[in-house]
Amino acid sequence: MRWVRRAAAASALALGLLAAPLSAGVSQVRLKLPLKPRLPLRGNEKLALAPFILVTEAEKARDKRLQNVDLQAEFHRFLKKQVDKKTKLEVIETPSEVKLPTQNLTELARSTEFWRSVGAMTGADIIVSGSLEFRIEDRSGYKTEEYVSPINGQTYYRQVYVEQTGFLFDIVFLVFDGHSGEKLLQDEFKDFRQTGGRRADELQGLFENLFSLENQILNLFVAREREADRYIFTD
Amino acid sequence: MRRTVWAIPVLVIASGCASYSQTERAKSQIAFGSEVARKGLWREAQFRFEQAIAKEPGNARAHNNLAVALEATGEFARALEEYKKALQLDPNDSYIRRNYARFAEFYTSYTRTTGKAAGAP
Repeated sequence: MRWVRRAAAASALALGLLAAPLSAGVSQVRLKLPLKPRLPLRGNEKLALAPFILVTEAEKARDKRLQNVDLQAEFHRFLKKQVDKKTKLEVIETPSEVKLPTQNLTELARSTEFWRSVGAMTGADIIVSGSLEFRIEDRSGYKTEEYVSPINGQTYYRQVYVEQTGFLFDIVFLVFDGHSGEKLLQDEFKDFRQTGGRRADELQGLFENLFSLENQILNLFVAREREADRYIFTD
Repeated sequence: MRRTVWAIPVLVIASGCASYSQTERAKSQIAFGSEVARKGLWREAQFRFEQAIAKEPGNARAHNNLAVALEATGEFARALEEYKKALQLDPNDSYIRRNYARFAEFYTSYTRTTGKAAGAP
């Protein structure tokens, strides 16, 4: 039966060779993912920028720095500039006599008649409105920090006072059909930035927020790209 | 009897060699595909990874790479299927799991925004 053992050994060797682990080569690649526009537009529509509800009004009384920021005007200017530069939509500012019928976002979204009349007045195909909130938060305080003593090389923990300012920006977009007044889309974008120093500039903070949301905002109207890292195997 | 016993290892080796050769061919397709992928030639890479899968359907890496290539070309619904197949075949691979998690995050927000699966019929 020696030949049987030899045959079995040969089979085992063959199986062993086949089961040998493969070397794992991996490489990281950066993709540019195409993002379709959120609204099904042709691309050359007339877009009216209506006023937004300002959620920060009550806060203004408490924070003097917010009084220096004309949020409505700054946001309109930013949005108009971005839409003009990066889309083929025609931006129309609504006349100054157009006042929102309510300061309640849910009711505003249901004001079909009002939006139809704005559409008729401006000749816009789509109308953009919603709500804006901008808050400045003092995040200064004591924080625990690791400290290595140069004398004995030991690690200690100590309390240090760190001055920081946080800027929070929250936009709710409402997009309406200018012909029917129906709501086409509602979405919310938020951004929070933290900077060193207690007296960080509020306008700079606002634009930091806006530029970080730029891609998401423009993606409402036009196709955009988003970068993403993935792993691929090389063998 | 003696001839039959010898036939067993011969058959094992023969089938093993055929399978090994298939694996090797799949590996070479993956290697070439990943090389062109790194140059941004995603359509060619997709073709190579599909070839690798045709030669070795149980290759989790080929399914993962194909999923990435499909993502790069905007075929997100198919990419999702391929990631799922890759995970079924090798649920413990950390790279595949990470890719899938990142893709799932993106795809969820994408389908939420467009209201339908991209690339879906």
